[in-house]
Amino acid sequence: MYKSRRRFEWVMLAPVILLLIGLTLFPFVYTVNNSFTDYYYLAGDNKQYVGFGNYIKLLQDELFLQSVWNTTKFMLLAVSIETALGLGLAMLADSARRGVRLLRVSLLLPSLLPPVTVALIWQMMLSNHNGIVNHLLSWFGAGPFNFLMDVNLAFNAILYIDIWQWTPFAFLLLYAALQAVPRPQYEAAKVDGAGRWKLFVHITLPNIMPGLLMVVLLRTIDTFRLFDKVNLLTGGGPANSTATITQYIYRQGVYNLQIGYGAAASIVMVALVLAFSIFYIRRSMGGASRP
Amino acid sequence: MNKKLILGLSTITAAAAVLAGCQSQGGSDKLVVAARGGSHVTAMEAVKEAFEKEHNVQVEIIGLEAADLKQKVSLDAKNKQGAYDLIMADDPWMPEFGEAGIFANLSELGVEADADFEESSLALGKHPYATGDLYALPFAGNVQLFFYNKQLFDSRNDEVPQSWEEVLRIAKEVHAEDGLAGYVIRGQQGNPIVSDFLPIFWAYGGQVFDDNWNAQVDSEAGRKALNTYIELLAAGANYETTDIVSSVSEGRAAMALGWPSWFISGETAKADYALIPSQASPNAEPVATGMIGNWMMGVAANSQQPELAAKFLSFITSSETQKKMVAHGGVPTRKSVYSDSELAAKYKHFPVQLDAMQNSVARPRTPKWSQVEEALGAELSAAIAGVKSAESALAAANQAIDQIMQ
Repeated sequence: MYKSRRRFEWVMLAPVILLLIGLTLFPFVYTVNNSFTDYYYLAGDNKQYVGFGNYIKLLQDELFLQSVWNTTKFMLLAVSIETALGLGLAMLADSARRGVRLLRVSLLLPSLLPPVTVALIWQMMLSNHNGIVNHLLSWFGAGPFNFLMDVNLAFNAILYIDIWQWTPFAFLLLYAALQAVPRPQYEAAKVDGAGRWKLFVHITLPNIMPGLLMVVLLRTIDTFRLFDKVNLLTGGGPANSTATITQYIYRQGVYNLQIGYGAAASIVMVALVLAFSIFYIRRSMGGASRP
Repeated sequence: MNKKLILGLSTITAAAAVLAGCQSQGGSDKLVVAARGGSHVTAMEAVKEAFEKEHNVQVEIIGLEAADLKQKVSLDAKNKQGAYDLIMADDPWMPEFGEAGIFANLSELGVEADADFEESSLALGKHPYATGDLYALPFAGNVQLFFYNKQLFDSRNDEVPQSWEEVLRIAKEVHAEDGLAGYVIRGQQGNPIVSDFLPIFWAYGGQVFDDNWNAQVDSEAGRKALNTYIELLAAGANYETTDIVSSVSEGRAAMALGWPSWFISGETAKADYALIPSQASPNAEPVATGMIGNWMMGVAANSQQPELAAKFLSFITSSETQKKMVAHGGVPTRKSVYSDSELAAKYKHFPVQLDAMQNSVARPRTPKWSQVEEALGAELSAAIAGVKSAESALAAANQAIDQIMQ
């Protein structure tokens, strides 16, 4: 009985395991292997193993180091601002008595748009020539600013667009988490004389912590993959100020077909994402483990 | 019930997997063209019916964005049976595609170099450049032009500048006296800034490489050209394509470089145009400065029906078809089409465009051009942003390009 049950479990799991091997494990091992080669896709001859050559070249490449720095800075800023704003909006919606539905729908609109559409809309709005943002600023006697071509502004412009697009996502998850906080806890704390701050720190925060960690984890992974906005709006410039790791990988591995070198950059990126998200992953996995 | 559900889901999954694995294969009754999306596809779609009827074949044209096209074509090149029978390629890709054997030798398929094609365009389809065998024919004859606002020029009694010194003088005057952008650069990092800068660099006598493929951007010509470029920016603005077109056509900017399709649509042009100034200063030796940017078309080396594909290539690049395609946004590459009196009367830019092609310059013919362009673009961007001086940016670019070419 026990054996047949085990067999049944394995049979049921087999398709998933095969899919995981085919779509995750094999590509990962293949990429790791390629990262130690000089594989250029269009080359007629076979790839040669170059040891850690690609990794050394990466570490010597100023553009790659700049891309890593830009991506890390972007991730830290975007995740913290989006989470904080999302939490603020979620608490506002949670406490609102009227118009919650309208607020929810209108807040969610930006995150429903495809990234390319978002980039093109903002390209028009931020235009130095006839963009609406500069028109509005001119009413206050400011500008015009060349948001996407100025080395001091381009990074912040991309950051702002990302915050605009993805704060609603943080809001949605945190709003759902807030809805699940047991109301009697608040009432009991209020009876004990707890103020708003204490309610937030001792009741709201512990209750929504899993949701908060999920937002941070998902946004950390996603901001690390920042590509469309940069590729369309700035091309990584001006002066590499908006260059990101994914854009670097795309240019080297996909456009220039330097598969070996691109693979090495991809492995570095995976390692960085893991390093930044391991804390959240361990927390969430730990919470889900069986007793 | 559950078993049925599992069976149903499994069937759907298996079918989806099979369908996802399928790729369009060139069958005997279909020719597949991997093309640059946009007006090229529209023009081909408008004329392909005659070929389809004559050869009893369906021609499927797949329009792709440039980077996507390069990637898909490259990936397909390793397959024994290619998904595409004909491939379009931006001309700087030709050396890389030539080395990789992506195109079939056209002479072996009975397609010969036709003297009616503009010589500078035809040279792009040969591997090695200009001297080797023919692998692709020029499909769309793009070449950079100088665009200016005629009303603004007339109001100031300015003539179309012949040298970059004059361009700079006019730009400064327009900026100082009228408060407008004298000249608009296209300074986005990567291909845009390199394409925008090279004509000025060439006018100053610069060459990206010497005969031994050593980088030459860190040179007297490079420094003079980059300083001129930075001064032009100071007297103007740095915009992306849409803003360049609108600012020059609306008279809020005086001058810019651009590709014809940005400003010219059919018979109408949003701004006036001329050849790109060919001299650094009025007394300097004139040199060719118009960057050529043709879209080429060739037969895929792994096509299963190369003879039929070669026939379509001959058809789509023929004088007769090119004349028909003009009305649908096609850009000719044959002299006979440009000199056709009826078309020349209708499309006023034809003589200038032909002249520009005849005095054009091709980007360096190396398979590593896209990497070189990237390195040069990053340093030019740093120079115009003020992050680096012109000298240090060019020195860094030189070093990076030499490293790429090793």
